[in-house]
Amino acid sequence: MAKENTQNLIETSDYIGHHLVNLTFGWCEKTSSWGFANHQQELFKGLDSACKVSEMGFWSFHLDTIFMSILLGAVVFGFFGLVNRAAKKGVPGKLQNFAEFVHEFIASAVNSGYHGTSKIVGPLAFASCLWIISWNLMDLLPVEMASFFGHFGGGFNYFKILPTADLNAPLALAIVVMILVTYYSVKTHGAGGFLKELFIVPLGPLEFISYVSKHVALALRLYGNLFAGEMIFILIAIMFGQFAMSFSQTLWFLPGLILNLSWALFHILIVALQAYIFMMLTIAYLNLASTKH
Amino acid sequence: MNINATFFAELLAFCIFVFITYRYIWPSMENLLEDRRKEISDGLEAASQSQRKLEEANKESATILDGAKAEASSLINQANSRADQIVDEAKEQAVEEAKKIKLSAEADIEQSANKAKDGLRDEVAALVIAGAQKILDKEINAKANKDIIDSLIKKI
Repeated sequence: MAKENTQNLIETSDYIGHHLVNLTFGWCEKTSSWGFANHQQELFKGLDSACKVSEMGFWSFHLDTIFMSILLGAVVFGFFGLVNRAAKKGVPGKLQNFAEFVHEFIASAVNSGYHGTSKIVGPLAFASCLWIISWNLMDLLPVEMASFFGHFGGGFNYFKILPTADLNAPLALAIVVMILVTYYSVKTHGAGGFLKELFIVPLGPLEFISYVSKHVALALRLYGNLFAGEMIFILIAIMFGQFAMSFSQTLWFLPGLILNLSWALFHILIVALQAYIFMMLTIAYLNLASTKH
Repeated sequence: MNINATFFAELLAFCIFVFITYRYIWPSMENLLEDRRKEISDGLEAASQSQRKLEEANKESATILDGAKAEASSLINQANSRADQIVDEAKEQAVEEAKKIKLSAEADIEQSANKAKDGLRDEVAALVIAGAQKILDKEINAKANKDIIDSLIKKI
């Protein structure tokens, strides 16, 4: 009995680990070559000698994150690009109506929150909001789906379809925002004024700490919310998946389904809300940076 | 939670998508919406203008109608008075004509009466002469008595 429990625990942690590891391609110190991490690609057997994901250094790429984010971006921005290209001034069609609705929603947020003159804020808010929403929506797909298709379809044992749950992606967005905030701060207050504000007036270097942390928090807030949501989906899957292992208890499938569905419905809120929060904070930070105070 | 080179890939991708939005998506939609806003406000302006024009035209047509009505009624009045005048004139003319006819009829009557008197006088004279001739056939000279007879005739 005790042994069985240990076995279960190992399986559980394996399962969670499986769902939290990205498909990684990078530089392996041990073999001095570029390649997939250990056990990640069944198509290339004999990679036991390859590095584990944790052994790879900074120069590795999460191919799943990159692929999914660019694919989603291409779909979303391709859609808006095509609709805008075909848009006409007269009575709009349904797709155009949708595109106009989204545009006006974001434009009104920008107009009410940003009082500077920069032309980049609107597009930045638009791009970040829609890209993040498209990422977050991937969280609503069943947790097993990507692994299932990856494993049996392409031989990829590890494939995470949710780019937001990989800190690299939200952090990249936040850093772009930080660079723009710094640029407009320097432009508005001058380099000296900006540095003075950061380190001297009024509370010494505290302002600098807040400056860095608010941008890191911008990334971590988004990452944390979506990562936690994904985690709960995984836990629900484990809880009822394990019970259902024994055939006589297949009925556990049903409460699992209900719980999964209710969490997914609740999660829709988080999906949109986090994207909205990211956009509004971006606008607010840029507004602070480009107005004198 | 491991930060690695994926970060740079995402950074680059984000910059590219922001640029695409900045270049192709955002301004075209802004222009479109601005154009539509302008078109709608133009349309509303045109509508109110034409409303004004319509009111003006209504007013103008009402005045024209009033003028026409006034003109028509004055024409009718004129026609009525003219007709009265014509009737009066005709009456006068008829009366005059009737007088004239009466006068000429009277003259005719007098003339024919005179004629008839003359005829009768001649006939009576002839009869008198014939009777007197018959009476005085033997002794009275027709020529000697002619003066007497003529003066008789004249007296009749």
